[in-house]
Amino acid sequence: MRTSSSFNEKPYRSIMVITIALFLILTGKLFDLQIVNGGYYRELSSRNHIRSVIRPAPRGIIRDRNGVVLADNVPAFTVSLVSVEFDSTNTLLLGNLLQMNQQVLRARLDAAQSNPYRSTRIISGLTVEDAGRVADNLYRLGGVSVDILPRRRYSHSISFCHLIGYVGLADSTRVFEGELSGRTGLERILNQRLMGEHGVVREVVDAHGRVVERFQGGDVEPSPGENVTLTLDTRLQLIADSLIMSTGHPGAAVVLDYETGEILVLSSVPGFDLNQFIGGISEENWDRILNDPAKPLLNRSWATTYPPGSVYKIVSAAWLLESGIVNENTLPDPCYGTFHFAGSDFRCWSTHGRLNIAGALAQSCDTYFYRTSMLGDMDEMADFSGGYGMGAPVTEILPGEASGALPTRELLNELFGQGGWGLGNLMIASIGQGEVLATPIQIAVTAGLIASSGNLPALSIVVDKSYSGRNWETNTSEETFRIVREGMRQAVESSRGTMHNSMGYLPVVVFGKSGTAETGSGEDHAWVTGYIEEPQPIAFAVIIENGGHGGAVAGPVAAGIIEKMLEIAYETE
Amino acid sequence: MRQNEKPDWFFVVSLLLLLSIGLLSVYSASGSLKSLFTHQLYFILAGVIVFLGASVFPLRLLEESAPLIYGITLILLVLTILFGGGPAGRWLQAGPVNIQASEIAKLCVIVLSARWLPALRREFVPGGVPLYLSTVGVLTVLTLLQPDLGTAAAIVMIVFGMIYWAGFGFSWIFLFLSPLSAAISSIKFVSWITFTALLCGVLYRSGAKPRRWVFFLVMTSFIAAATPSAWGLLRPYQQARLTTFLNPEADPYGAGWNVIQSKVAVGSGGVTGQGFLKGSQNELAFLPARHTDFVFSVWAEEWGFIGSLFLLSLYAVLAWRILLGARRSLNPFNSTIGAGTAIFIIIHVAVNVGMTLGMMPVTGLPLPLITYGGSHIITEMMLLGFSYNVIRNWRSY
Repeated sequence: MRTSSSFNEKPYRSIMVITIALFLILTGKLFDLQIVNGGYYRELSSRNHIRSVIRPAPRGIIRDRNGVVLADNVPAFTVSLVSVEFDSTNTLLLGNLLQMNQQVLRARLDAAQSNPYRSTRIISGLTVEDAGRVADNLYRLGGVSVDILPRRRYSHSISFCHLIGYVGLADSTRVFEGELSGRTGLERILNQRLMGEHGVVREVVDAHGRVVERFQGGDVEPSPGENVTLTLDTRLQLIADSLIMSTGHPGAAVVLDYETGEILVLSSVPGFDLNQFIGGISEENWDRILNDPAKPLLNRSWATTYPPGSVYKIVSAAWLLESGIVNENTLPDPCYGTFHFAGSDFRCWSTHGRLNIAGALAQSCDTYFYRTSMLGDMDEMADFSGGYGMGAPVTEILPGEASGALPTRELLNELFGQGGWGLGNLMIASIGQGEVLATPIQIAVTAGLIASSGNLPALSIVVDKSYSGRNWETNTSEETFRIVREGMRQAVESSRGTMHNSMGYLPVVVFGKSGTAETGSGEDHAWVTGYIEEPQPIAFAVIIENGGHGGAVAGPVAAGIIEKMLEIAYETE
Repeated sequence: MRQNEKPDWFFVVSLLLLLSIGLLSVYSASGSLKSLFTHQLYFILAGVIVFLGASVFPLRLLEESAPLIYGITLILLVLTILFGGGPAGRWLQAGPVNIQASEIAKLCVIVLSARWLPALRREFVPGGVPLYLSTVGVLTVLTLLQPDLGTAAAIVMIVFGMIYWAGFGFSWIFLFLSPLSAAISSIKFVSWITFTALLCGVLYRSGAKPRRWVFFLVMTSFIAAATPSAWGLLRPYQQARLTTFLNPEADPYGAGWNVIQSKVAVGSGGVTGQGFLKGSQNELAFLPARHTDFVFSVWAEEWGFIGSLFLLSLYAVLAWRILLGARRSLNPFNSTIGAGTAIFIIIHVAVNVGMTLGMMPVTGLPLPLITYGGSHIITEMMLLGFSYNVIRNWRSY
């Protein structure tokens, strides 16, 4: 009968044995649950008194490139309450223990009723003494619990306020009341990595809401958020801040390593103390920040645009060379201090005489640029500058990064109407005035591109390069880079250079370009940009709002940052 | 084909009892949503019709149409990946009907394996084994991308059960499994060494040629070396995202609330249960997904240890009768399809019930014939229909 069955005999037996084994395992577990522990579970189910208490995960720590902690966590005591389990006759007692206004407490209790089965935070940031008083009385306060929760703490917070940002209560509570999420800055952008996964503790509570025991087997430890190391250097950032502050004006400084693309300094002065925002900022403090005339909330290093003035000339000079309008030896008509064109006076800040392009950069002669740029095409200049990172965000990582602006035919038609503008707009744009707007970080990028012959890597803000910005397309020949660099070297080295007095004394070769940008109202903005090759290949940009002359006011800030770098380099040797 | 055998009363009675238990449990679990019960009734009626059809369907024709079934399944799986909807994005919405393609994938893999495995065992087909494994592999990967980790794992287990049934022996299964085992063993150095030692033992015992030695050792070492670095390249939150993507049912907080509530429900059933419609966990709606994944806890709470044991026994009897028929069958295709169905049922019951008791990870695998849902009931009834066909026509060759 069993012709083919002998063939299947062995598998049949094995599978039946496995089936019976599985059957017995499941039966055993059922026996354990339903008969051995049946009473326990029936007790639990009759009142369903298992309560889940969330244990928030500590957020990841943010450090600078040298391991200096910029944001970490400290324990803070919190009192929470499950509304259905709380006997409202205890309100007075709780209020006294917490030394809390009864009205405020009642309002919080009412709010807790909207989610009656969940643990709701009543007050956080308690001292050990306050929390201890409540903890001592927990036996008569059903539904109340005291927890230690991680609380965010910021160091050097005024210097890094715009970059790091702060945390606040999450807009949409994903899982639990009191969940934090990054509101601004890197806290917001890196939120996914920083936040970690919260844990859960299950407690068995009796009919009065008091904890009887920990429910075994249901605990999950919170897993802390990922730690993040930034490319920034706190030592340089702090020196940049104090140097800008000493000018008495608001300002910003950006320093980046043009060989790695790492951002070392993102300074914006004045700042504000992030720690005020923990657990909600008071109205008084908020008003003070908001009404400060120096606008500390304004982030000047990447979210604010300024007319770049003459620091833009390093880009427009590269464009003039690349488009063939001038070469290294072209000597246009001399600068007489004023250039008359089409019935208008285009003024230069001094009387320079006849200069080649390197000299025009070193002495920042506007007339040279008026006379030559008028032979070019406005859209081509805008397109060329776009390749240097202007007119669009350069990192695409930093929050609220500004684009800046470059004049094109389209833009000017939009602003002034067809025929409402002329060649003058191009001439003014070539010296970084008029419709040209840029952020300090964009200007630092242009210097970095000149320094690296267009090989500046994408900017990064996190050491592992997981957050990197975009790449560049300078379309510039090595010859052009060499000529522009020569002009920038002369601006510092030559006794007639605009930065000679402020930076010429430094013991390293500095390639620079100053800018004194007209603002239309008030004192000029003072700019410098440039780069050094030793001791570290960095490009920098500094702006002092309404500071006056670029070389004289912004130059010493840049020089001070370089001095600090030399000092660090000397110490580490 | 001759319809000359007596009905298998063990099979028929346990099937009918299981269907009735399913209806009772869904009725109890659906609470005020009685439309769920009505739907389930329709699903079961449709399933019975499918069963009757499959039990007289010419199995030779089924064998011939395996490639066609494979093609249709692939299309459905790809369509679901592209246009899937529903809570986990696993339903293909065609008008009023939601099709869960991963259920059909299980049917497909059983028919496909039944068609190929006996042939591969009987004679050497050049490239046959790799071809078979890659066809099944494509199906598994597409199921994984549904996303449905549970069903993909079930498919792998069913395939290896069927390979064993076809007579390949444990050495073969070990070698088939070696890429997967290598990946898993790479977690710890000790486990990798153990795995490699076992692999050498199996290769030695099977008298493998040097070429095969080199192939397996190089392949598994490569996989073992690549797995941790590939996983390590991901950031923790990306790893978490990947695991939740592949298995959305998994509670991200480990020993989840669902499982705890389910254990409380099962445990509170005690010896005799709380009685029909009297389960407090269920009636108070503390039990999550109580008409789908956790339907067993509803039954266990209401009918206690005795009821649970009865339910498990019905599955065991069903699997036993099918395996008996499969062993007897003279036709290798018929025999293998029966075995596949029995293995299908055993795996599903073990994984689903194990999950409700907190012994298995939470996956979306249904409890056969009982969990609410059309696609899986119709798939199961079709497989059972084919199996009944096999039992009754064991003489046909």
